[in-house]
Amino acid sequence: MCHVSVGHVARAFEEAGIPSVVIMSKVFKDRTAAMNPARILLTPHPMGRPLSAPFDVEKQREVLKAGLNLLETATDGGTVVEYDQPYRTGPFVDQPDRR
Amino acid sequence: MSTDNRNSANEEAAKETFDEFRSSFSYGSRTDLLFKFLKSGSEQLADDFLTEILDLTGDLIDNGDTAPIVEAIVRAQSEAYSGPGNFEYDSKPFAILDQPVSESKIALLTTTGHFAHGDDPKPFGMDGLTQEQVVKMTSEFGKADPVLSEIPTTTSANETMVRHGGYDIRATAADRNVSLPIDRMNELADEGVIGEFVSPAYSFVGLASQLRLRKEIAPAWAAKAKAGGAQAAVLIPI
Repeated sequence: MCHVSVGHVARAFEEAGIPSVVIMSKVFKDRTAAMNPARILLTPHPMGRPLSAPFDVEKQREVLKAGLNLLETATDGGTVVEYDQPYRTGPFVDQPDRR
Repeated sequence: MSTDNRNSANEEAAKETFDEFRSSFSYGSRTDLLFKFLKSGSEQLADDFLTEILDLTGDLIDNGDTAPIVEAIVRAQSEAYSGPGNFEYDSKPFAILDQPVSESKIALLTTTGHFAHGDDPKPFGMDGLTQEQVVKMTSEFGKADPVLSEIPTTTSANETMVRHGGYDIRATAADRNVSLPIDRMNELADEGVIGEFVSPAYSFVGLASQLRLRKEIAPAWAAKAKAGGAQAAVLIPI
């Protein structure tokens, strides 16, 4: 239901004049895209991990930047873009037990 | 009836069907929110997925490659949750960004159920609910209005709480940036990639009644974000 809630929030933000980008796992693409939020970035990640695995800082930055880029480049509502780099599993250098 | 026959009848009655087994992962005796999709999809999907996962686990213990397992999970989740939900809209509201991202004040709002320590949103007036408790209250959450939590962007990871009965919170409990990227947004602001990270960040439990959210609550939140200076927003559902 979160992916429906975000659709309603995204539409309200656009209607209020605030451009928005939804960054989400592609698992729920059909449900959210059917609501036509302005911009969606889909990640190939399991449910519960829309940006990355824990402590994959590099991936988190990449995904966020890709989403932010959509704020500038999308020209129509209902724009859906796939971030196609695969989900990576740790451990990562920023993981607390590896410091 | 002989004792043997009675025992046989009892065993037959207690025998769990595969359909009951797969359904038990979704708010049942084997609740696992990462795999609750086993109930949402078809019985065949659950059968195929479990068979594939066991096969891939055999490979994993030999080669350590987790990627095929992740792909299998994503593929099965995607199939189980395929198709539009109850809300479909033809119109496409679209606001244009008036300045570059590097000059924009950007807000963050997630449906992940995060909140700042000491600022429990107290669903149903109840303070200090545990994750285990809210997992058992999903039907109540689904009928209730969502409560928006405000999380100052200076809030430390240790002071950031998460509680949500609809998904597996393990990853974001370990690292909030998995779904509430406060640290990354602060860094991007420091580096000038974004003009400003609007404080506070917002989060709510997206498992909520949709009708009032659509008509009243989401527009009120948008007005709040605008009053707080937001010129654009990153929205992250879970």
